[in-house]
Amino acid sequence: MAILQFAQWANDSELGTYIRESLFAYPAIEGLHLLSLAFSVGLIVFTDLRLVGLFLKEVPASDLLKQLRPWVLGGFAVQLFTGVLLFFASAATVVTLPVFWLKLLVIFLAGVNVLWFELKWVRRVGDWTDQLVPPGGVRFAGWASLAFWSFVVISGRLIPYLSYK
Amino acid sequence: MSAQGLFDAIQHSALSDAISKLDHLFGAVAQLGHITGLVLLLSSIVLVNLRLLGWGLTSQPITRLATSTNKLIWSGLALLAVSGLFIFIPAALIYYVNPFFWYKAELIVFALIVQLTLFRWATRTDEPRPLLAKGTAVVSLALWFGVGAAARVIGFLN
Repeated sequence: MAILQFAQWANDSELGTYIRESLFAYPAIEGLHLLSLAFSVGLIVFTDLRLVGLFLKEVPASDLLKQLRPWVLGGFAVQLFTGVLLFFASAATVVTLPVFWLKLLVIFLAGVNVLWFELKWVRRVGDWTDQLVPPGGVRFAGWASLAFWSFVVISGRLIPYLSYK
Repeated sequence: MSAQGLFDAIQHSALSDAISKLDHLFGAVAQLGHITGLVLLLSSIVLVNLRLLGWGLTSQPITRLATSTNKLIWSGLALLAVSGLFIFIPAALIYYVNPFFWYKAELIVFALIVQLTLFRWATRTDEPRPLLAKGTAVVSLALWFGVGAAARVIGFLN
């Protein structure tokens, strides 16, 4: 199967082998992958809590969305980059773990949720930005995002946990 | 009692035995609690410090952001402490010989001191002196992310 072949190739590549065997590269990359959560998922959680009407209610929702966006996207860029490197380092193992595929699937679902939210709600953010508790659709997007990203963090933590067994 | 004696006593205590006998799944739950606490704590620190640096949420008063995140910071720390104890107690002696466990402990002490002094002073008014605001943000971010980084290294040395 093409994916298994690709994983084996990534696993055996010079890059994958280097990261796997390096004393410093692997912990440094994994550390970055973990700590950049504070920017990506962490700041998204704050935004989501605002969208569901639980946190920073007096702050206009558009302020949070706009001003945190560069930091959220920056955090994601770091996570994507370090995530690809980590994949190379242990590709042959992780592709055999269902939890790895579940994580990717839920990241995709979280992306679909963002796209829907942007197209349907952010386009007319002016209508609801000052509401202490935003409209139902916005709250739904917030709860969905909280659930998806919590799942992504949990499944992400389980990948190394299940790899060593 | 020496520090090593203390760690030995912790690892061989009744509580340690009880934790060790728990289901394997419990270890995973403790790890997940630890990572949740980390995200709560670090994200709150990031949010307020970005504001202190003038890099994010600049239209919001500093005091409001500090008040809103204060509970999250301390809940995150509580969750980290409880889950951390469950991870630490059954393996205390492994941590005793790990230098990064001790670096992490020192960094936590410094970070908490800064949290209760500089951070509190800088977020007490909506217009702190720029040097205090920016200096606090840099020190606070460096210390808390330093704790996280040291923690990550512990796992690789164990």
